[in-house]
Amino acid sequence: MATGGDSNLEAGKLEFSLDVPFPSSHEALIALRSLSPDQEPRRGGISKQLSVSGSTLRWSADEARILRVSVSSFLDHLSLVIETMEMFGPSLLCDAAQVC
Amino acid sequence: MTVVIGFEGSANKIGVGIIRDGEVLSNPRRTYITPPGQGFMPSDTARHHRAVILTVLKEALEEAGLKPADIDCVAYTKGPGMGAPLVTVAIVARTVAQLWGKPLLGVNHCIGHIEMGRLITKASNPTVLYVSGGNTQVIAYSERRYRIFGETIDIAVGNCLDRFARVIKISNDPSPGYNIEQMAKTGTQYVELPYTVKGMDVSFSGILSYIEETVFAMLVEITERAMAHCSSQEVLIVGGVGCNLRLQEMMGVMCEERGAKLFATDDRFCIDNGAMIAQAGWEMFQSGQVTELEDSWITQR
Repeated sequence: MATGGDSNLEAGKLEFSLDVPFPSSHEALIALRSLSPDQEPRRGGISKQLSVSGSTLRWSADEARILRVSVSSFLDHLSLVIETMEMFGPSLLCDAAQVC
Repeated sequence: MTVVIGFEGSANKIGVGIIRDGEVLSNPRRTYITPPGQGFMPSDTARHHRAVILTVLKEALEEAGLKPADIDCVAYTKGPGMGAPLVTVAIVARTVAQLWGKPLLGVNHCIGHIEMGRLITKASNPTVLYVSGGNTQVIAYSERRYRIFGETIDIAVGNCLDRFARVIKISNDPSPGYNIEQMAKTGTQYVELPYTVKGMDVSFSGILSYIEETVFAMLVEITERAMAHCSSQEVLIVGGVGCNLRLQEMMGVMCEERGAKLFATDDRFCIDNGAMIAQAGWEMFQSGQVTELEDSWITQR
């Protein structure tokens, strides 16, 4: 379950952090490695940090202007990763009708 | 036996294809078609791909009659192309590569077209004309690399045709280029100046014939120049604009005059598709190349 954002006004920067629990650290690591390679579209002002601790994916960014776009886009990508895992990963939910 | 699955989504087509040692086992594809007068924007295109990619992936596996365990490696388009759609597709490729425990291969989109063209036509060492909505280049293989001998100095020829189609609101279904070609076929009057008015009516097929004749003649000229430079006797046309039969006809005339052979594929493989990425991935895999996840970032150029 994801938690919402905080705005900590420290030296004019905004922070947003998101904790995403996964069933295990294996899934969290897969998500991390699928989501981290690409650069943010706009240079300067946005910094994003993805890391895994245990089975939680932590994401934080600073820079107000494009924060919303970056967060929104990240959540879309995250949901795509999760959907892909559900459909194509080995899991207890896998039934005969699915290709896995 | 090497089975490669390829993911392609750099423009408005999203395709997933599976190749086993040069045999195309499946190659489903979907196209994001915009209303007449509109081009496709990166975020809308990415949204389209996002909505269908997992379905297309499933189709690819089912049509090929394969399970993930049968796949040896996962190829995807690293670039060039539109950023947002490239990322969407790369994310799925990275995820399944990890889920299935297979190596990842980041493929160059242009090389995908060329390798597919070579596989299908069996051309051995052709001068390549790569023409699409996003690319216009004359390419030849020299000293272990594909090298660009000539290219557009501004926009791709497909882009030129697409923009023109937009201005006069030709349908984008199945593609603006296809509809331009059909309408141009009915043009009987080749006009020097692209301005045809008949009383209160206007005629557009004449303009489109003019545009096709002119831009295609330009492409034939630069291809011929590259062939002369490389002493090449084969031409391979790849890319969506390569479907155009008039272009193939004009290129064929030039080839015949030079005693050279012309190769081209049909719209299954000219137009962006997943199997071409799988084929280029197969070539990479055979030469021992893989792409580490940290280096798998997409690139627009």
